[in-house]
Amino acid sequence: MTALLSTEEVVVRFGVLQAVSQASIEVHAGRVTGLIGPNGAGKTTCFNVITGLQEPTSGRVRFDGADITGRSPSKRARLGIARTFQKLEVFGSLSARENIMVAAEQRRAWDRSGFDPATVTQEILDKVGLADVSEFMVGTLPTGTARLVELARALATNPRLLLLDEASSGLTEEETEEMAVLLRRLVAEDGLGILLVEHDMSFVMGICEFIYVLDFGRVIASGTPAEVQANPAVQAAYLGTETVEEAS
Amino acid sequence: MRLKFSPRLISAVIVALIVVFIGHQNWGQASVSGQTIATFLVVGIALGGVYAISAAGLVVTYATTGIFNFAQAAIGCFLAFCYWQLTIKWGVPVLLAIAIVLLLIAPAIGITLDRVIMRRLRDAALVVQLMVTVGLMLTFMGITLTIWTPKSPRSVPHFFEGTKGVQIGDVIATWHRIITVAIALLVAVALRFLLYRTRLGISMRAVVDSRNLAGLTGAKSSVISGASWSLGCMTAGLAGILIAPETGLVVENLALVIVVAAAAAAIAQLKSLPMVFIGGLIIGLTEGFTSVFLNFGTDWNYAPQAIPCVILFIALLFLPQARLETGKVRLTKRTERLTRPWEAALGGAVMIVLVGAWANGWIPWISGTTFGQRSAVWLGRGVGFMIVGLIMLSLVPLIGWAGQVSFANYAIAGVGAVLFSHWGGPSGNPLGIVAVMAVCAPLGLLIALPALRLKGLYLALATLAFAEFTDKVIVRHPKMISPTATGVLFKPMDIFGIHISSDAADRKAFVIFLAITFALLFFMLELMRRSRWARRWIAMSDSPAASATIGINLTTTKMAVFMLSGAMAGFAGCMLGLSQGALRVDSFPMFIGLPLVLLLAVQGVRYPVAAFMGLIGLASFPALSEVLGNPTWLTQVSLIGPGIAAIAMAYRPEGAVFYSGRDLAGLLPWRADAREEKALLDQRTRDQDIGRDEINDLGLTRSFTREKVAQLDRVLSIADAVDEHPMVTGVSR
Ligand SMILES: Nc1ncnc2c1ncn2[C@@H]1O[C@H](COP(=O)(O)OP(=O)(O)OP(=O)(O)O)[C@@H](O)[C@H]1O
Ligand SMILES: [Mg+2]
Repeated sequence: MTALLSTEEVVVRFGVLQAVSQASIEVHAGRVTGLIGPNGAGKTTCFNVITGLQEPTSGRVRFDGADITGRSPSKRARLGIARTFQKLEVFGSLSARENIMVAAEQRRAWDRSGFDPATVTQEILDKVGLADVSEFMVGTLPTGTARLVELARALATNPRLLLLDEASSGLTEEETEEMAVLLRRLVAEDGLGILLVEHDMSFVMGICEFIYVLDFGRVIASGTPAEVQANPAVQAAYLGTETVEEAS
Repeated sequence: MRLKFSPRLISAVIVALIVVFIGHQNWGQASVSGQTIATFLVVGIALGGVYAISAAGLVVTYATTGIFNFAQAAIGCFLAFCYWQLTIKWGVPVLLAIAIVLLLIAPAIGITLDRVIMRRLRDAALVVQLMVTVGLMLTFMGITLTIWTPKSPRSVPHFFEGTKGVQIGDVIATWHRIITVAIALLVAVALRFLLYRTRLGISMRAVVDSRNLAGLTGAKSSVISGASWSLGCMTAGLAGILIAPETGLVVENLALVIVVAAAAAAIAQLKSLPMVFIGGLIIGLTEGFTSVFLNFGTDWNYAPQAIPCVILFIALLFLPQARLETGKVRLTKRTERLTRPWEAALGGAVMIVLVGAWANGWIPWISGTTFGQRSAVWLGRGVGFMIVGLIMLSLVPLIGWAGQVSFANYAIAGVGAVLFSHWGGPSGNPLGIVAVMAVCAPLGLLIALPALRLKGLYLALATLAFAEFTDKVIVRHPKMISPTATGVLFKPMDIFGIHISSDAADRKAFVIFLAITFALLFFMLELMRRSRWARRWIAMSDSPAASATIGINLTTTKMAVFMLSGAMAGFAGCMLGLSQGALRVDSFPMFIGLPLVLLLAVQGVRYPVAAFMGLIGLASFPALSEVLGNPTWLTQVSLIGPGIAAIAMAYRPEGAVFYSGRDLAGLLPWRADAREEKALLDQRTRDQDIGRDEINDLGLTRSFTREKVAQLDRVLSIADAVDEHPMVTGVSR
């Protein structure tokens, strides 16, 4: 099975700081892949490279077999890549419905299946559970709800690959549960590929089929949740021993 | 080779063509010899030095506070007048006067500005930040004009006037110029020393990087921002005093230095001090070059004054593309719902009725004034106010929705008026209006092209430069507005049965016609706010990064809104020409475009109704003045009006319409929702204020140890190399 998305030896350098070093990861359709690592490991930077917000210093990004390294973010969206952001990037002065509507309308630029953006928006509102707050301006919503708006907005572009950066932060326990159910449904029913950055370990271990562990920009381990948990390098990275000298 | 559509390339070609054309037209007879070259170098370097001083202040304040100070040159102008008052009027010795101005008055202004206004702007939207400093700029100009009325010409003598200067070859460099260059070098060294070697300076650089980092240095953020505003004012004053002998003590000339300083700052990407000095030199040398080698005929009389604008445009072409930043979204806890179509229709109808009733003299007013009664003068003013309202309306989608701050719409309207005087105006053909709109739409776009890929501030600078370019080059060319031509420029016109012209008899009809047009455009915009276009523009403005990742092409989306706005401004321009009947070359100064944006911003850029409130506000000054019997104090109040507006904006960033709209709705018995929203918002504001105070207190108790300085320096040297980092760097990439 070829991967939906693959990054090949991606390097991102900010001045003297190497935020991502030779990171190669693969995401497959129809399953949730996890990307974990301590703070500053380079997870968000990886997301930025995949979505085109950050140009890599070297390395390639492939989507569905095609090399998309130089493409603009909007072109990548048209190919079917969507994401949410760690620090909220909602459209604060639009209502929740409008946030989703913008994305659905935009989708018409490349998806000629003749769908009605208003209907699609309503469906997604129901699916994500935002119907009650659909008319509120998103700037006034609590963080957890705003996160759901971002997820809904990403879904409205009808993506094949969904990147979620810290999807569960700001959510209550109950909402996290619902999120897990929703993600499983998206993967199973719609065949999406999901790449998930997450600090909540029980959430990650419960939902991901495959996990990459990033530390100081390097992939230090990968495998099933069980394999990753047993890996001594991963434990060291999370406990913060050993790796200190590597950093300096 | 495949030619790719590139806004950058197109604008580069256009700018190059204009420069070559104007240069070719005006190539003088001066031979290129050692003598002429030396002259041009002496003139150029001295000018460059002054510009660099002013620009350096601009960059320091921007880099440390994140606010671009449009008032910089106007403050410098005010300080230059203070200096004149001290030395010439009161006979204070020169050095003492300089000390008083630069070490006493300038820091006082800086600290006051910081305390009262600037500190509230840290997290404000770009348009608010910009408009507040624009308001201050107009205020300082106004205050200076009030205190030192421009009845008699004033001049500041050069330093060591009367002495001969130094002979370099065949050229004499006056002592004033030599001193200027020396001071510029001194300022450069002093700033470098301050920012890299002193505790305060290191904190100033740290504060840009992160406020937590600044906490490490133990400096209070209030001290830091106060210091950087003082520094900005001091450099402004220094530049003002040095340049005043060259330009004459004229408010407009001195305040215009802001365009030059902005150009130099843009060359330095608003962050690199060494590049600021190079930028200043580039501009100074270009001006020196043109003054020596080019010989501008009467057709291009004012073109030399547009040189900094052209350089600013060119600098924008060379700037690296802005990254789409994430994590910068400001959530303005604003609650509102969309205006319903029937509400908008009702609003439009009310506008027509109000204006119509006034024009017909149905609104009673205090007797003895001509304001309430129809008089030709007042109806003529009414036409003017309505046209200003139309221009403000054209800014709502552009600034309010798409977040593209532009100062060029008055200039576009000016170009529209000029074009209309050639096409359709003389024959009274309404199709001319359509043609003008069709040209003004892409014109709006053309101005924006070089800045589309940059961050918003550069767009504001580009539009400012264009407004200045229009005034100094376009409309002053005799092919555009001929000062000698005879004949009718604007024939009366019949549109939908309404006869409009500049004749006194037609003015009532004109006012009503404009009210109807305004109301229709208002209604159109309100409907448009519910359309996918407006949604996309607002999305783009709220989060460019997120917009791009849902597939929005930011460039084309911006282009669309510029075209809409340009077309609306072009229409207003046609009406402007028609209402005046004739055009004067000095009708479109850049300084008129600024208060127009301010007027709208104070009312609330997001709301079409703000344009109407803005024009009422504009009309209220002369109206009140007439009712009160034209007292002089009111004229003076109107001069500091922009300053009051600026302060109001710092405290009420969403604009008056938003706050009063919510309060008014809360009075309606059936709008419980509005009352709840108000309570919610007030609570939030209070919470936020408390949070801010806590942050401010954090830095108080920490001490400033050697290790922390070292730590800071480590962080800063990493940060120096980082892309797009607004740091006062020593090296530029
Ligand atoms: N634009 C930038 N300029 C300079 N450094 C950056 C930039 N973006 C990220 N970094 C640095 O790159 C490193 C990786 O950051 P990144 O945000 O990718 O980490 P992360 O794994 O997402 O961390 P977290 O779990 O805290 O979100 C960090 O040290 C960060 O400071
Ligand atoms: Mg992250």
